[in-house]
Amino acid sequence: MAALDINGLRKAFGGNVIIPDVTLALEPGLITSLVGPNGAGKTTLFNLITGFLRPDAGSVHYKGSDLVGLSPQRVTRLGIARSFQDLRLFNEMTVFENVLVAQESSFRLWTRAAACRHTDAVLERVGLADKRDTRAMDLSYAERKFLNLARIMALDIDLFLLDEPASGLDGPSRTTFHMLLQSLKDEGHTVLLIEHNLDIVREVSDRIAFLNKGEVMAFDTPERIFANERLTDLYFGTAGRPAEAESC
Amino acid sequence: MIAYIANLGVLLGIAVILASSLNLMVGYAGIFSVAHAVFYGVGAYAAAKVALGVTDSFLLATAVAMFVSGAVSFLLAVPVLRVREEYFVVASIGFQVVASTIFTSWHAVTGGMGGLAGIPPARVLGWQLTSPVEYLILTAVCMVLVLAFIAVLVKSPFGRALKAFRDDEVAATALGKDPLALRVAATTISGALAAVAGSIYAFHVSFVNPESFTLDYSVMILAMVIIGGAGSLAGPIVGAVFITAFPALLNFIEMPSRYVGPVEQLIYGASIVLLMIFWPNGLASVWRLLRPRRPVQAAGGGTER
Repeated sequence: MAALDINGLRKAFGGNVIIPDVTLALEPGLITSLVGPNGAGKTTLFNLITGFLRPDAGSVHYKGSDLVGLSPQRVTRLGIARSFQDLRLFNEMTVFENVLVAQESSFRLWTRAAACRHTDAVLERVGLADKRDTRAMDLSYAERKFLNLARIMALDIDLFLLDEPASGLDGPSRTTFHMLLQSLKDEGHTVLLIEHNLDIVREVSDRIAFLNKGEVMAFDTPERIFANERLTDLYFGTAGRPAEAESC
Repeated sequence: MIAYIANLGVLLGIAVILASSLNLMVGYAGIFSVAHAVFYGVGAYAAAKVALGVTDSFLLATAVAMFVSGAVSFLLAVPVLRVREEYFVVASIGFQVVASTIFTSWHAVTGGMGGLAGIPPARVLGWQLTSPVEYLILTAVCMVLVLAFIAVLVKSPFGRALKAFRDDEVAATALGKDPLALRVAATTISGALAAVAGSIYAFHVSFVNPESFTLDYSVMILAMVIIGGAGSLAGPIVGAVFITAFPALLNFIEMPSRYVGPVEQLIYGASIVLLMIFWPNGLASVWRLLRPRRPVQAAGGGTER
């Protein structure tokens, strides 16, 4: 059974059809990269899966239930979490609080010791343990990216949707990121990744879905996708590597 | 003189409770309400009804007042909090107007403009309160309890979730937090806490009528929160002291009596305007200026001059 089964998904804003028809089945336990030129509808697809946008047609099946029409918080509680391209950290809070708030139940008067231990373990894992009490706004760019990841890693999640988690990372940070992704995969998690940097895509992906004008043009292993000249032409010919304009 | 100061102290304590409870909504949940006097009023009327008809026990009357006021704010919050922030402000004004009308017109329950008179002195654990100083002690104890509860609340997982929404609503939702449930809970708690102030007021003055719970007073409570500094524990306390004590201080300025009223209002109004220009983060943020400089804040930055 697919980890996520997207069928005939369609979304238009006014008369502007952003996603005419997306059908895609994610294989469980694999890292799938979503690539495509700027404006291909990648972030929109994330918004449709996670309930931030409601599709005009189609279905998104996860563990036997259709996610369409569910609120974002319901989708997250079912086990799908997303990160944002523009990070959206809780800037006034410390690194520790950013991760703690993600995993604890909101309707509680006392902080559980287990939640604190879990938070510290996650911070250790992403290499932010020594920044525990720093406010999110005072972190470096790379640290902010890792905090963004830590926040959703703290949740009880099967499927990670990561929107450009590695963009702007330098060499060593990229290695750390790569190891983190690998460890998520080793634990049996499924990952869908939006990434512009094709080196990273080549390094980490098990599958690549090539999205163009809101349609999946190809879905295959990295070797086959990179060997397909038509796709590489389309990717480099249409757009270089500008930042994605669309966002949530 | 002691009675005057004690009475001022009671009013101050009431203002601190009201501003601090509203701060839960404004400063932590990001809900701007101009209807807080309604919950103060509902609390006062409920406590008065209990005192007049059932028992003079302050604790029991306050418990009933908190329940009724909490229930009213819950019923208001569920439908209205679905609208976006700025619309909620307008909706809350509408709610205040409706509530004021009910206070004035529902004679059978509220006594209309004449209000409810003859509320017996409060009894707390067998102790009958008579002097203003005793009421001051009661007010101080209630105020400390309310502030302690709020302090625990904002540091709890619940408070953290509220702050997460305040910082970034989309991210908080994406992490599985339910915005409506959190806001409704914050509004309900805020309304219930305001009723504590209402109950103290009803017993202290032994009389309630609609004039104490007007839109004007709702605006004043919101002003206390903003002038003091929303989103901190100290802010509403400083704001409540400023708004309540400042007019009292102006009384000491020597001037012909016919000028006192207008001059007082002018100084009062102008100082609020100046405060908002120079310290938009509130009076409580002033002490931050005295600390060693931290990196410039990303947003707002009102304390950096």
